[in-house]
Amino acid sequence: MSIMELNGGSCVAMVGKGCVAIACDLRLGNQALTIACNHEKVFAATERTYYGLPGLASDTITVRDKLRQRVNLYAMKEERTIEPETFAHLVSSTLYERRFGPYFIEPVIAGINVKDEPFIAAMDLIGCLNFAKDFVVSGTASEKLFGMAESLWEPDLEAEDLFETISQTLLNAVDRDAYSGWGAVVWVIEKDKVTKRWLKARMD
Amino acid sequence: MNHFPSTSWGKPRNDALDPYASFPIHQGRPQTNDVFADGVQRTQQPIVTGTSVLGIKFKGGVMMAADNLASYGSLARFKDIVRLHPVGEQTLLGASGDMADFQQVKRLLENLITSEALQDDGHALNPSQIYEYLSNVMYQKRSKFDPFWNAFLVGGLDHDGEPFLSYVDLLGTTYSSPSLATGYGNHLAQPLLRRALERLGPDGYKNLEEDEAKKIIQSAMRVLFYRDARALNKFQIATVTKRGVEVSEPMEAPTEWGFAEGLRGYGNSDETY
Amino acid sequence: MTSQGAKLSNYTGAPQQRSFNPYSDNGGTILAISSENFAIVAADTRQSEGYSIQTRYAKKCYQLTDEVVMAVVGFQADGTALAKRVKQRLEWYYHTHSEVPSLASIARMVQTMLYGKRFFPYYAHVILGGIDRDGTGAVYSFDPVGSYERESCRAAGAAQSLVQPFLDNMVYSKNQTADPSVAPLPKGERPVLPMETVLSLVIDAFTGATERHIEVGDGLQIWTIVKGEGAKLRELPLKRD
Repeated sequence: MSIMELNGGSCVAMVGKGCVAIACDLRLGNQALTIACNHEKVFAATERTYYGLPGLASDTITVRDKLRQRVNLYAMKEERTIEPETFAHLVSSTLYERRFGPYFIEPVIAGINVKDEPFIAAMDLIGCLNFAKDFVVSGTASEKLFGMAESLWEPDLEAEDLFETISQTLLNAVDRDAYSGWGAVVWVIEKDKVTKRWLKARMD
Repeated sequence: MNHFPSTSWGKPRNDALDPYASFPIHQGRPQTNDVFADGVQRTQQPIVTGTSVLGIKFKGGVMMAADNLASYGSLARFKDIVRLHPVGEQTLLGASGDMADFQQVKRLLENLITSEALQDDGHALNPSQIYEYLSNVMYQKRSKFDPFWNAFLVGGLDHDGEPFLSYVDLLGTTYSSPSLATGYGNHLAQPLLRRALERLGPDGYKNLEEDEAKKIIQSAMRVLFYRDARALNKFQIATVTKRGVEVSEPMEAPTEWGFAEGLRGYGNSDETY
Repeated sequence: MTSQGAKLSNYTGAPQQRSFNPYSDNGGTILAISSENFAIVAADTRQSEGYSIQTRYAKKCYQLTDEVVMAVVGFQADGTALAKRVKQRLEWYYHTHSEVPSLASIARMVQTMLYGKRFFPYYAHVILGGIDRDGTGAVYSFDPVGSYERESCRAAGAAQSLVQPFLDNMVYSKNQTADPSVAPLPKGERPVLPMETVLSLVIDAFTGATERHIEVGDGLQIWTIVKGEGAKLRELPLKRD
């Protein structure tokens, strides 16, 4: 039994033209038994920086709270909101603090920086960063997400097209993963607005 | 029309005996109980072993190389073992792995060649046929949990005069490529052989002259000697061309140890610690 | 070793552990898609063991009859042994009946051959593609011990988990809301796609898998089997890194 697969769940983030999208499924399970289907794994760090924490559900909550504290401390100390790039390093060092007793989550980050440039990143459970230019995936359906994203994603997608791409990527990937699915949420972040949509997904 | 006449030619097919016309699908042999089964030993691990064999195709032929060492664990036990073995007129067998199993395989192939020659029909087995036989033997042995603990290269000139080079190992895994190497050679030498061929474009071996091939093989053997602790700087090179199978006398590759002079641990005896 | 001088104090009567493992995994991916009057069977040509590429040109597809192609991945020695045996059985069948069996019959034969080795299985995933007796394109897929099913598309092998969701999406139109101007596909009906569409799907699937899976690459073999035209092979390069 792998702790990373105890509760199930997956996340994906993608870059578009002047926008980014981040999405997650809603399943919470105890191995093969589904416990709940309202378990969101994507949270807001700032108004335009979002992050997903798939993995062990209790660590998802713990790390989300820890990051909220650290983002608030950053805001008070620096008197400005944190940039997505900086936030990625904050998450990374938060995880590496626990190098030999890690939180069992693999975060993905998506945001738009102060120069209105899209930014995504992902890391493993001890904070090894991956700054991809196209898309990042994480969770129990990560292989399937790679397969979908690699064949659907293309450069410079507008916000609406990016939404369709990330939605199809996520839905078709989690439908082939026993530990993910049961609903999905997609966030599209543009420079002046953020849209959250719940997807109608297979519930089996 | 029944093309398998031995049991039924001239007789109508009997629906009572064979209602689905499944003949000639063979019946499985009845299970026999071997009273000595417990006493039979299988090769569970190799004992006296040979290291890498290299093979490369070139214009008009195939070249193979193997050193003359048979190791007993880490002991360099036998230093004049020949691991390149001609089979028939147009085929070369290169062996790594257990040398006792290699000897048994040599006997099997010798029997194969003999029985083919005794047919006296003017036909001799070509490399691809010998390879097919050998790979079937290897797969059957692995399926009996009694493998020949070897990795073999089979090279030669095929019936159409094209160079032939293929690999088979103790699992019965088979494959073919313009350059091949077994064991450590697969990690250390195969990249060098591939680079040499890929420089010459697609189907690069067709632009590779024999003397060039020899230089590449020799330098690859030198690399193996430097880094494979079970290798020996005494090796043979064999070719199969229109001239037939030619296995060279043992040779050495020139080596350079000058760099070791100032290095601690490279065995300068008057080194002070 | 247990004769005469050997110490028997450690002898427990339990079976000895055998260190020889008769299986290996040689990577690679195969895929087949069928449509109204044709089927496509495709495979990459890389063969590997661990991190070593054994050869960049290994065939995983076998033409069995004019209208049936079989693709195999898993343990190469088992795959080729199975393919060889299937071909032999077809040869025997031909010489007793003067005709070749239908795709459905070959599929059933493959299942019995796989299940026949249920307790020492062929470590092989098989996909059959071709034209069925009713003249439609068909795909049959098998697990290593013979469970099988007729489908419209199937991927197997190292990158199955990368490719199969893509096929669900593009061939079965999963998660795509139907175009209101087109009548929906009745339940149980198979999707009908034109050849060009399927070919580009196959190529996209393999270039994607090559990008993200180390055991996939080098070359791509695509067999197209068209009703009344027989089978044709085309070869394309894939990335070799």
